[in-house]
Amino acid sequence: MPNLSGNAYGLTVLCPLVAESGLVSPSIETRKVLQALPDTQDSFDGRCNSPMAAVPNTYLARFFLLEDAFFQGYPNQYDQLRSSYLVFVAEVHAGSEAALTDYLKTMYAAIPDDIHRIWQYCIDFDQVTSADAFEKYIRRCQVNTTFYFNGSTDAPLAEQLKSLYLKQEFSRFVYSHQGLKPEALLTAYRAFAERVKPFDVQAPTWKPGISSEKHIVTA
Amino acid sequence: MEVRLNYTDIQGNILAHSVEFGFFKARYLFFSINKVDNGRAFVRQLLPLITSAAVWLSEENTRATAVTTNVAFTYNGLKQLGLPVLSLQSFPDEFIVGMRGRRTILGDDGRSDPECWDKVWHEDIHVFVSIEAREDQALEQRYAQILAMAAEIGEIHLLDGHRTAVDGVTLPYQQASVLYEKGIPTAKEHFGYSDGISNPFFEGMPDDLGNVMGGGKKVRYGDPEQPSTWAPLQTGEFILGYQDEAQEYPVAPTPPLLAKNGSFMAYSKFHEYVGRFNAYLDTCGAVFPGGKEALAAKFVGRWRNGAPLTSFPNEADANAIALKRQLALAAINTAKTTDELVNARAAFKEINKKFTAFDYSKDIEGSRCPVGAHTRRANPRGSLEFGQDKAFNTPSALDDRRRMIRRGLPYGIAPDPASNNGDHGTIVMSICASIKRQFEFVFQQWLNYGNDFKLANDKDPILGNHDELNGVPQGRMVVQGDQDTAPYFLSQIPRFIETRGGDYFFIPSLTALNSIGEGIVDPT
Repeated sequence: MPNLSGNAYGLTVLCPLVAESGLVSPSIETRKVLQALPDTQDSFDGRCNSPMAAVPNTYLARFFLLEDAFFQGYPNQYDQLRSSYLVFVAEVHAGSEAALTDYLKTMYAAIPDDIHRIWQYCIDFDQVTSADAFEKYIRRCQVNTTFYFNGSTDAPLAEQLKSLYLKQEFSRFVYSHQGLKPEALLTAYRAFAERVKPFDVQAPTWKPGISSEKHIVTA
Repeated sequence: MEVRLNYTDIQGNILAHSVEFGFFKARYLFFSINKVDNGRAFVRQLLPLITSAAVWLSEENTRATAVTTNVAFTYNGLKQLGLPVLSLQSFPDEFIVGMRGRRTILGDDGRSDPECWDKVWHEDIHVFVSIEAREDQALEQRYAQILAMAAEIGEIHLLDGHRTAVDGVTLPYQQASVLYEKGIPTAKEHFGYSDGISNPFFEGMPDDLGNVMGGGKKVRYGDPEQPSTWAPLQTGEFILGYQDEAQEYPVAPTPPLLAKNGSFMAYSKFHEYVGRFNAYLDTCGAVFPGGKEALAAKFVGRWRNGAPLTSFPNEADANAIALKRQLALAAINTAKTTDELVNARAAFKEINKKFTAFDYSKDIEGSRCPVGAHTRRANPRGSLEFGQDKAFNTPSALDDRRRMIRRGLPYGIAPDPASNNGDHGTIVMSICASIKRQFEFVFQQWLNYGNDFKLANDKDPILGNHDELNGVPQGRMVVQGDQDTAPYFLSQIPRFIETRGGDYFFIPSLTALNSIGEGIVDPT
């Protein structure tokens, strides 16, 4: 079964770029857009780090340009792609094709401007003017794969972020409370649990897309 | 198969010779960078000025371009720009060593020794910038713009030390220009030869920018004016990231994005000893059968007007076709409407075929074009089979991997035809995927040696680094005869050319330039 592993969906999309016309290079221009996306915590600007962090339930996403197929040397056939492609790969929390449809529509609703900036040199993307059209466009360009990212489970993103937050906080707690008497330890632990709220996935927790303490969501 | 090239990503000087579009003036600048960050800022600011190959694809864009700018780097330059060690180590050895270190292979000895080169070549050169323009004003403006840019960034130094005609006076740039006769631009160099007529034609190259006949590789015998006897060379012989004639990717730096759509360039400053050349022509031409012009033609394999000797052994025929070509060229320059221009271009292309679409299959013995003539050495056009059909897969199998794109212009003027002083010659920029296999091989084996042509250790008459013994020049050349004519032996040929500088450069794609400027080249 391609694409799905439990509730994790490995999405692979190859969107052809328009051909060069005149002096404009769709590849160079698209690279400029990708290069300008914030990619470090330092570029945190009030909104989420990467635009994809603002798309709910995105475990990991990556954009890159595929210019050509590699040639393995004689006697293989030398072949070239007919165009360059914008490759969008993402692993998301979507346990079915229907859930992916929802994901894509939500993605368009969340970051329409970023999407149009990133995809602006893709063939026919100017005809994408709605979440429905975006979902259809992506589906046309989708390649069925079993490409998943390691390092995440298939739980909803909020649960994964909360888990990571708890793990980080709990290890700190362990380091700073070694050797306490059981009563003192229990008291401290209760205070700790009260602070980190293990059953509240909304807060405190990590923000999507970043892992710095500065950006922890507090209650 | 048809190769798709991203013209907007390839620097313009690789795909076309701007002089053919009326860019008659050039200025070549060499910079050194003191600090990585400043160097990267310089690259980033140069980027919007860089002329891509796409400029040459449409009349409109070519017309809209008043000045071109292209850039390349030495190995030390790339190091100074902070390229990761893994990428630096992946460059070919000869590029890392540079032209100076490869002088023995190139034959740069005696007066051509790097110790005698222009002062600028004793500096640590990092960046090469070429500016080409139709008019002096545009050239000056772009020059001033780039200098202002470098000054504002700081720690970027334009290197002085280009020799001029005046002893002791140097310039901070190499000026170059076509030569003018009575105010009319010509394609000639200082010895009076029409130069730069033939350039390779490869897969992915638009038809307008070259001709497969003569520019491509010779795939079968037959009429060289029939396109079917030629095929385009593989792109990877000239541009990195594409299949080459060995059906492999050329050796290239890593990561692939750094290499793809880039190339290598050998820049050479060749001084021309006009006095020596004319004296030799006068002395030997006086007794040479056919006279001085015939001797000049035998040296090069083309008449000085450009007509190939193998197709036009008779001077009057050569003059007639050269005149036709000149008139066809003039018609292009004077065309007023687009229709006129299109027709004039087509007419020129048809006549120009006589200058490029030829081979030596009916002249294997060299009775028309000597086997050791300059153009035949530099591009044997399938003649290395020596008439033995099927000795190799194709007639030109031995020369397909030695072809080079030729760019550059003459520099200086030689006002006194009898003088050997001054500073004038030709800037030759040889662009190829492998400096070692193409540029160095041709200089070492074909220009400064003769074994592949069954000419023992004879050298190229014009470019050869002829030795001198007890003050007597040792250059020799056999001018083959035919059934009725005895061969003619030329001797005591002196060095007509002296290397006065040069180095090896990497010409990155526009994508790679951006990566270098941003410091995001990632070879891991």
